[in-house]
Amino acid sequence: MTAAQGATALILLVSLVAQAAWPAQRLLLVMTGALGSLFAASKLTATAPLALFAQVPWDVLVIVVALGLFSEVLASTRAFGLLAVSAARLSRANPKRLLFVFVVGMYAVSGLVNNLTALLLVLPVLLNLLKLLGASQRYVTWTLGAMLVACNLGGAATPVGDFPAILLLGRGAMGFSDYLLRALPQTLVALGALLAAVWLVRPDADTPTEPLVARIALGTVGQLYRGVTVDRALLTPSVVALGAMLAAWLLVPASWGVGPELVAWAGAALVLWLRPGFGEALVRRKVDVEAVLFLLALFLMVGAVRAAGTFELIAQTLPTLPISPKAQVLLFLVVASLVTAVFSAGPGMAALLDVAQTLAQRHPPHAVYVGLALAVCAGSSLFLTAATAGPLAQALTERAQVRVGAGVATFGFFDYAPVGLVGYAVTLATGLGFVWASI
Amino acid sequence: MKLPDLNQAFRVAAAELGMCTAAWLFADELSADRGPVGLQQARDSLGRSFPVFDAVLAAKLDGALTPTVDAHGCAEACRGLKRLTVVGYEARFVDALLPLLPDVDVALLAHSSFDPDWDRLLSNYGGRVGRVSLDEYQRRAGPHAGLLTFVYGATGGTGYVVPEWLRVGGEDVRTQFRSFIGWEVLGRAFYVFPRWLVEVDLGSFTAVVGA
Repeated sequence: MTAAQGATALILLVSLVAQAAWPAQRLLLVMTGALGSLFAASKLTATAPLALFAQVPWDVLVIVVALGLFSEVLASTRAFGLLAVSAARLSRANPKRLLFVFVVGMYAVSGLVNNLTALLLVLPVLLNLLKLLGASQRYVTWTLGAMLVACNLGGAATPVGDFPAILLLGRGAMGFSDYLLRALPQTLVALGALLAAVWLVRPDADTPTEPLVARIALGTVGQLYRGVTVDRALLTPSVVALGAMLAAWLLVPASWGVGPELVAWAGAALVLWLRPGFGEALVRRKVDVEAVLFLLALFLMVGAVRAAGTFELIAQTLPTLPISPKAQVLLFLVVASLVTAVFSAGPGMAALLDVAQTLAQRHPPHAVYVGLALAVCAGSSLFLTAATAGPLAQALTERAQVRVGAGVATFGFFDYAPVGLVGYAVTLATGLGFVWASI
Repeated sequence: MKLPDLNQAFRVAAAELGMCTAAWLFADELSADRGPVGLQQARDSLGRSFPVFDAVLAAKLDGALTPTVDAHGCAEACRGLKRLTVVGYEARFVDALLPLLPDVDVALLAHSSFDPDWDRLLSNYGGRVGRVSLDEYQRRAGPHAGLLTFVYGATGGTGYVVPEWLRVGGEDVRTQFRSFIGWEVLGRAFYVFPRWLVEVDLGSFTAVVGA
């Protein structure tokens, strides 16, 4: 290993560990790491900073921003809250059905919109329902935990659901329909396995199921939303625009030169122009600058590592391992899932995609990429801190003060751990099974 | 049959619907599902914690039906007002009053012992009702401005209101608003100590309706 390879890899590693250890300063830490990477690459590999900036996948950042704004527009239609109320009615406030309806619902929603926005709008309704039902700690833990895993699975189901898949799409590793047709069925299998596992655990066993409780819960929720109406003037064109975006992602050939980022940008611009004043306010105040800067810093650090030739070195080393080529891919995916569990999906995917691209030259690319997306998804589900949705759910739950027995429900790292382990196991097993069958 | 613990559920409902509105909702469901036995069980288990609920359960046990809300008296008391600030909240009563005050700027004082989700609460009114904090409510003062609160258990010249009323209706602000309106919503006296509420002299209001 050369000095350049060592220095750039060390900066990346230290930055990732530091941002995981001190999340309150994570943006400062990764931006400082990116600065160090630019210096190191410039001095040790003669790669100018401008060259590293040129390698940043700006299309990925455009998709992240555009879909984030699109989610904000959808959120402002009040559709999420009312959907959650409909889910409550559909479940007839039966704890077991409620869990399944919300888990499946979050999976579906997360495939299309930012899962943080969806959680922020759906969780308050669910937390109120948990209070109205007199839910137990065990039920609170498994319901919220399974929802988080479902969010991750939904995000991995489509190429626009979450950052790892967006990165695959943006980097041109896979086409929209190519990814969708292979990842969607796998995530559905994992979701089915998750629900089966939850069914066996019976988290609802100690939560009241009397008809009186259900009547009161449904009656109250109905009253809480008695006058809330969907903003149809905004929702209808937004849904049409979303449909058009999906059609464009699926059908527009690459030869037209209209990439996924242009489709996402055009769709977001269209819905923002529906109400120009509101759209302008969203663009000014709701762009997720934190996510953009975080990803930019990661891309720069990964770019410096790439410029030093470290990924090539790893890719050359993998085939020398004394195991079969198929086992090498599986080992890579297991490591990828654990890296993601510690460093979260963005850093995990950004750092590992280059290695995956090398593996994809020797194995069916779709198997490697979809396998990687599922491994990253599994890692995101292992710990509460592995994805940003986890701490958000924790904060909302603590703030809601759901009473369970003599205390208040908690949803911390160790509460989530059993659910996370189940989610990790079923998702990773599905991914490995898919790769095993495809190679 | 044992009654499930409804304490937390009632708090959720009372926070965003108001104690009286939530009490009638729960009483109706209890009556339909468990009959008089369930109503009495609820009084025994929750009555002391939620005195308004207790009074409503007693009314239900006496055979009372969910009363219809007549907001005309309150609307009459609000005549001439351009701004109305509501202190405390009762969903059924605010819902009934708003159509009768089409030209009045209505806002809720966003302060409550039950910590409701104010955004969700107000989203029921589609922008028709605003919110104001304790720090800012005096900006809504003026010769055509009024304050409204809900009175519970008005008897013998006194009644009970939410504690926030003592702050906004204090002597230091009485000259800043034209009207101080009390709207009796419970319609009967308390049987237990009125926790969550404070006693006021009905004479301190410029108008009391529904008593």
